[in-house]
Amino acid sequence: MMELLPQALTDGILLGGIYITIAIAFSLTYGVMHVIDFAVGEWIMFGAFTGYYLNKWTGLDPFLFLPVIFVLYFGVGYVIQPVIHRVLSGTKGNPFLMGLVFTFGLAIMFRGLALTVFGFYSNSIPSAFSEGSFDLEPLGLAVTIPTVRLVGLAYALAITLILHYLLKKTNFGLGVRALAQHKDAAGLMGVNSKRTGSYVYGIYVGISAMTGVLLGCILSIGAQMGNEYTIFAFFVVVLAGMGYLAGVPWAALLLGLVQSIFMIYFNPSHTLLAVFAILYIILLISPRGLFGKGV
Amino acid sequence: MKFGFVRVLLLIAALFVAIPVHAEQRNFFKIGVITELSGDLVTGGNITKRGYDLWAQEVNAKGGIEIQGKKYPVKLVYADAQSNPAAGAAAAERLITQEKVDFILGPYSSGVTLAVAPVVDKYKIPMITGSAESPLIWKNKFKYTFGTIPPINFTGATSIKTLTEMKPAPKTIAIIGSNDAFSKATAEAYKTAAEKAKLKIVKFSIVPSGQDMTPLLSAVRSMKPDVIAFGGHDEEHVKFVKALKQIGYTPKALLMHCGITDKAFIDAVGKDGEQIFGTTCWTGTAKTKSKVLWPNAAAYAAASQKAFNNPGDYTQGGCSAAGIAFQTALQKIGAKPGMDEATRTKLITALEQIDVQTFYGRVKFATSGEFYHANVGLDPLTVQIQGGHVKTVGPKASVEAPAIYPMKEWKSR
Repeated sequence: MMELLPQALTDGILLGGIYITIAIAFSLTYGVMHVIDFAVGEWIMFGAFTGYYLNKWTGLDPFLFLPVIFVLYFGVGYVIQPVIHRVLSGTKGNPFLMGLVFTFGLAIMFRGLALTVFGFYSNSIPSAFSEGSFDLEPLGLAVTIPTVRLVGLAYALAITLILHYLLKKTNFGLGVRALAQHKDAAGLMGVNSKRTGSYVYGIYVGISAMTGVLLGCILSIGAQMGNEYTIFAFFVVVLAGMGYLAGVPWAALLLGLVQSIFMIYFNPSHTLLAVFAILYIILLISPRGLFGKGV
Repeated sequence: MKFGFVRVLLLIAALFVAIPVHAEQRNFFKIGVITELSGDLVTGGNITKRGYDLWAQEVNAKGGIEIQGKKYPVKLVYADAQSNPAAGAAAAERLITQEKVDFILGPYSSGVTLAVAPVVDKYKIPMITGSAESPLIWKNKFKYTFGTIPPINFTGATSIKTLTEMKPAPKTIAIIGSNDAFSKATAEAYKTAAEKAKLKIVKFSIVPSGQDMTPLLSAVRSMKPDVIAFGGHDEEHVKFVKALKQIGYTPKALLMHCGITDKAFIDAVGKDGEQIFGTTCWTGTAKTKSKVLWPNAAAYAAASQKAFNNPGDYTQGGCSAAGIAFQTALQKIGAKPGMDEATRTKLITALEQIDVQTFYGRVKFATSGEFYHANVGLDPLTVQIQGGHVKTVGPKASVEAPAIYPMKEWKSR
């Protein structure tokens, strides 16, 4: 059984790559806007269907559409953000709770809309990358790396690095970080909270939609797919520490590895149980996430 | 304040007391349909809906169900089970106590059916599911629940037997099932059949529903099984095929039960669907003859194509056949709309006695044993996707085309 370990680790890392793409932008939007967007899975689903139809109409590889989909959904996010901001900036009641309810409702409506528009069948997005895999057997390692999943991991790392650069090295990022720390103080320093919030939400929706295309190539797509990804996004972000972006890749990789190793070496039917047990143990030890740096 | 509290308690208590179902006078049959119109099993739920709708549409086009010379149209009242057994049970209560339906056409999934069956037993309302296949439903011996699709332990063995007749015969098998009532039962049925056929089971795993199974399949690949058999639902089938292709393992035969007979599966996976085996008990080309509604399977497939741009699969057909079973039983006892409890009890007896040839094949419900109230009138078939079409490849008496075996490698397709 030990000869399976390299493959188990590889599969786990590749799975982790998928979880990074699902959770990274979700974490960003929580860090800045303090909104847990329960519609994250639905943005992923909309992106997946957009990629599916663009591929169907043009016959081109879905990966070529990623920039188009980002721009399109950035626009959607930019326009919607003020609506969510309005709910969150109320002075009466509990704005945080209202935000949860609002996005939860959005998710249900989006799912219903998708069922009506896209139908109820499961689909798949074909891509040139879906065809092959890298076999490391000639190098003495019994490991196969599916090309499409490797592309997924590369995409996850690229998005992480770009976001890191944007947040740490640009003026926009400085504003975003200031806003995340203290909204009023950032405002006094000249950060336009409304516009920055719209940009951040736009980036989040855009990245989530691109992730949908990727997932459609690796797995399957359907109007109900969002729910599952929302749970994983939430899980990774909680494990990473709410709003702590740098923790996301590590939490995602941990989740992928636990899942992979458990599926191969233990009873696969208890995989999710193991994953959640680990989450609870880590939260008991460190309530602010894996690195103790969550909000 | 205290009085208000008591009133609330009384109200809650009143809600828990079984509300007697009164008969209602009307000139049409009011039929409740509980199925999964949202949630994870929305695809199957909508396929069952299509089956029930097509039956109702055909009956109403003929003026309704003829009872003692008078025709009574049918009206379907839908309730969404949300792919959730508890929601299904609540939906059943609502249809029975508020909508006062005459009888019920049942859910897509076995899990929801298992939750609804005790409710229909409690209110003594007959229900036929046109889809659910878990053996558990029939082992529980619910008096008011019937099913037109035979349970998976009745059908599953046929496919394993067909595979063992291939040359060179497969020797090893890996069996994986998703963790829901139907899929788990499918995997277990394949396991029992494989043990009987002396196939060596190299892996048997039940995985949580909807999971990415790539790591598990990597482990399976290292065991190089000749056959991989999977029990799951539509979305999981697509993921399963893609994961196998991504890790580059082509077994000699890939067997999947539910859903591969639907055109949508073939559309979703394209050429990767070729040569996949499945278990079913009906195809659009089955040689059936009937005097009720559609004369044969081809006529039904054509009607479905016209209505939904899809020829329909065995689940959809099973649902339309459920309608025909009720129709036949109602005619037999001359039951009119707005049935009282005594008539509904008679309807159960009539259902137990019917033996009718339909476009779907023979419908005859078992009245005892482990298949109690399941349809045992059908012959299970092994099918294979060939050239984008579902072809029957076993058992020998029903063969439409010889099976292609072993499967062509993913990379050379």
